[in-house]
Amino acid sequence: MILIKCPYCGERDQSEFENGGEAHVIRPKNPESLSDKDWGEYVFYRNNPKGIFYERWVHSHGCKKWFNAVRNTSTDQILKVYKVNEKRPDLSEFQNTLKSPSGEPSVGSGNFAVKK
Amino acid sequence: MSAINNNCQYISKKQVKITFDGKTYQAYEGDTIASALLRNNIRLVGRSFKYHRPRGIYTCGIEEPNALVQIISEHNEPNTRATIKRVYDGMEIASQNRWPSLKYDFGAINNILSPIFSAGFYYKTFMGPKGFWKNLYEPLIRHSAGLGKPPKNFRSKSTHQYHNNDVVIIGAGLSGLAAAKKFINTKYKVLLIEQDSYLGGVLKNSNKVKTINGLTPQEWISETEELILNSKNITVLKNTLVTTYNFTNHLIALEDKFAGKKIDLNKSELTLHKIRTSNTIIANGHIERFISFRNNDLPGVMLASSFEKYIHRYGVVPEKEPIIFTNNSSSLSLLKKLISLGCKPKAYVDSRKKDNIETEIKKILRDSDISFFTDAEIEGCDGNKKVETITIRQGKSFTKLKSSMLCVSGGYNPDIHLFTQSKGLVKWDKNILSFKPDTPFQKTITLGSTSGNYSFKKLCDEINEKLSIFKTKKVSLDINLNVPNKFSIKELWETKKKNNSNWAKSFIDLHNDVTTKDLKQAITEGFDRIEHLKRYTTNSMGTDQGKISSINSLAIVSKMLKKEISEVGTTTYRPPYAPLSFAAIAGRSTYEFYDPERKTSIHSWHLKNNAVFEDVGQWKRPWYFKASENETMHQAVQRESKMLRENAGILDGSTLGKIEIKGRDALEFMNLMYTNAFTKMKPMTSRYAMMLGEDGMIKDDGIICKISDQHFIATTTSSGAPKVLADMEEYLQTEWPHLQVYLNSITEQFSTFNISGPKTREIMMKVFPDIDFSNDAFPFMTFKNFDYKETKIRIMRASFTGELGYEIYIPPKIGLELWEEIFSCGKEYNLIPYGTETMHLLRAEKGYIVIGQETDGTVTPIDLNYNWMIGKNKKDFIGKRSLSRPDTSREDRKQLVGISPINKKDIIEEGQHIVELNELPKKITNPIKYLGHVSSGYHSPNLNHSIGLAMIRGGKNLLGQKFFVTATGKTKNIPVEIVNPVFIDPENKRLTS
Ligand SMILES: [Zn+2]
Repeated sequence: MILIKCPYCGERDQSEFENGGEAHVIRPKNPESLSDKDWGEYVFYRNNPKGIFYERWVHSHGCKKWFNAVRNTSTDQILKVYKVNEKRPDLSEFQNTLKSPSGEPSVGSGNFAVKK
Repeated sequence: MSAINNNCQYISKKQVKITFDGKTYQAYEGDTIASALLRNNIRLVGRSFKYHRPRGIYTCGIEEPNALVQIISEHNEPNTRATIKRVYDGMEIASQNRWPSLKYDFGAINNILSPIFSAGFYYKTFMGPKGFWKNLYEPLIRHSAGLGKPPKNFRSKSTHQYHNNDVVIIGAGLSGLAAAKKFINTKYKVLLIEQDSYLGGVLKNSNKVKTINGLTPQEWISETEELILNSKNITVLKNTLVTTYNFTNHLIALEDKFAGKKIDLNKSELTLHKIRTSNTIIANGHIERFISFRNNDLPGVMLASSFEKYIHRYGVVPEKEPIIFTNNSSSLSLLKKLISLGCKPKAYVDSRKKDNIETEIKKILRDSDISFFTDAEIEGCDGNKKVETITIRQGKSFTKLKSSMLCVSGGYNPDIHLFTQSKGLVKWDKNILSFKPDTPFQKTITLGSTSGNYSFKKLCDEINEKLSIFKTKKVSLDINLNVPNKFSIKELWETKKKNNSNWAKSFIDLHNDVTTKDLKQAITEGFDRIEHLKRYTTNSMGTDQGKISSINSLAIVSKMLKKEISEVGTTTYRPPYAPLSFAAIAGRSTYEFYDPERKTSIHSWHLKNNAVFEDVGQWKRPWYFKASENETMHQAVQRESKMLRENAGILDGSTLGKIEIKGRDALEFMNLMYTNAFTKMKPMTSRYAMMLGEDGMIKDDGIICKISDQHFIATTTSSGAPKVLADMEEYLQTEWPHLQVYLNSITEQFSTFNISGPKTREIMMKVFPDIDFSNDAFPFMTFKNFDYKETKIRIMRASFTGELGYEIYIPPKIGLELWEEIFSCGKEYNLIPYGTETMHLLRAEKGYIVIGQETDGTVTPIDLNYNWMIGKNKKDFIGKRSLSRPDTSREDRKQLVGISPINKKDIIEEGQHIVELNELPKKITNPIKYLGHVSSGYHSPNLNHSIGLAMIRGGKNLLGQKFFVTATGKTKNIPVEIVNPVFIDPENKRLTS
């Protein structure tokens, strides 16, 4: 169970939050003007990278506010939290701990318990 | 063979009586079950998991693989480790996994049949024929393999406690106490956690340390403990086991509040500590491991340091003349202790070469005239349900000696369970022949033998160095030892058998009955990856997680694969460190406290009037009302439905979700959230509305009341309310933050009654004589506020039954009063209360849908013929664009229709398939074309036949056609006609006049 720092309340247990999937997916202003394919992309397709991920959280058992977070999905470390109206932080702000092409981080993943 | 008592300060002189398998034994307060049984010369305590082999007490702690017992006097608590559990007067204990008795166990036939029970036995043997697994094999295996019996009733017995700390120290042995000492009177908030009821660890469990800073170990422990207890920043938890090390330094620890005491049923037995800490110091020591040899599971074989612990910690010498078998230097302390007590071991068997053995050991053995075997090993032991003879191999010669106990030491493993749970990396250390912590993943420090440092002399420097990140004073430890400071060990995992027989067993996992032969076989069969091998053989998958044996199995496997152990790797250590009961995890969240029950203000009336309740979300809703003791549900629902259409009925609709939407942009917001157009809607009118997902599928429905362009009240389904509110919030916060709208859940601010039926208007006029209920003054789908007894009520004309109906919204405080008033006024009109089942029947007659019944997340409003609800002129609303996607606008989508049986006696069942065949073939060779399914099916008392709503492919164009509905347990299908889903009053005359 990880700790998440709500930008409004401070650090709280993960159980107080719900994850809202990928962040910065903006609802199209004029849905009717979109092709079926583009609209389908918006409704059904999301990124799911191993590594740095921009995602949404809501403090559902707290202030009920939505906010964004940058999380390393391979280590579960939350690298940054920011409010919905704040600028998306640049990827270069974060150090990607992924080393190998298979994406295993240097420490702390699954069954790779023995130091190589 | 007999045990003797040793003076021991941790055991009181107070005698207590316990019973084991019905026989009474004397024990002392402070004993564990194991020490008490050993004191009484009981060696056989259980039968093994698979082969039902006799098993005894192997260890003196949490690592115990064998001695699991059932505590009869504690609610039948099963699988309790006898080596941990303290006794008290009157404790009743039973052995496990035996039938009819421990001595004569029927399942022991498995041992005779053991050559067929090898690795993968279950996978290979119980393959077929079809159905045999479920009906024969599984019940059979469950009966004969296994542990204790689960308790019959569940009892809430734990509380949860939360901690936030700067430092948590796990283990209050020598290293843990020394580390804690550094934090005395500092700014750090420290939690020191010890599994035992006494602090001191190795200092009280063994003879290894002679003095610390000139004090005896006991004096040093007392002095240190007092300093720690007087330090306000340090909290000590005893009898507490850390079971789990999660992400973000989150620890779970379980405290036994009644260790050694009879449980008080009025108090909580356990406290589950949930701890967040900035830093974790793991100092929970090491675990001795065993060696595999022939019959290494016989009762009487025990780990050497456990034997020593029984002497020191529990004051019982299990056997005066045991044989000691070791491959390392640490067994010296046991030898010394036995000699100091006047006991003389039968033999000392050391696998190391004579030149590598410490001179002190050689001298003592010579001086005491004890048989000494160097460069030797135990071939095996024999006996009837206990060790009787022990065979020693030295070179090519074998010596057979008599003794009832064999003390074994195969070396020590740093206790890395918690460290690896925290996702730290370990590495192989050739000097100690074990894995030790290497790179931590979190803020984790390991100290002492946990870190792989087996040198007492180096401990002080290690602590000062590793804790230098904290602002603390240096600690000094001047330690004098009874054992060599330098740890020496020779690699030995399994000894060679004299004869190779199918029945000779050398175990690698005592808990799960895995032999070294099983490992070999698994590798031969291709399971050469350690994680595969573990699952195939079930090695180290018992409740002890192979604490004394898992490293041994890695070593044996690596030898077979001709690889380095570090290449083979370890399996994953998973929480919990030791089993913890579901009751501990549940805490106080049990029964009604687990999921709160929500009751309406009318609940007491429902109870008095024989309501049968249905759970809707957390709500308790009347399902139907029993008119008499013998009335069945079917009879009640038929009666209620008929009565309502003849006279009038009233439903407690208070559970309906209600959300208030207010603010400058409320109109725009509602137009975006719902399919309907609200702009032209007049104030004080209401409308049936639908909410879609962005994919165009129906999510929820309800009636929207428009008070003004800035003020709406939306009702939702009873269970959908929280989700609808959350979805509205999400869009407001994330997509449309420019809209000024405020949302408020007002579900519980109102009691809601739905009254409907032809006599409703008369009843309402009688209850509210001042209100004009005429059709002109109060038309369908309008609402008004009225004064009522010092408060305000809202009445809306709406109906979910198809009859004339009103919904009354009233503050719950006077809800019951009004409800009773309505009943006294309605008596002369035969007003009846009705429940949700009747509501469902009536709405089905009227062709109204229910979210989650007709819809399943794949249904659009168009599929339901609800095109009229879609605000086509609106530029946008959630899901609008998806309604014109090619797949969503397909003509052959499943669409809502009504179905009526052609033979009016036939019964249409909910959930049945709709097909073209009048009869299903006896043997189905080709898939049968599926047209749709029955989403609602009822016997209509008003039409006097069965009716159904169905979702059928292209159903809109099939009106009047004949199809078939399948029936439970029959091949003959029911012929039905596709009809308009509105069976009652299709012109809506009853609603609108
Ligand atoms: Zn918050």
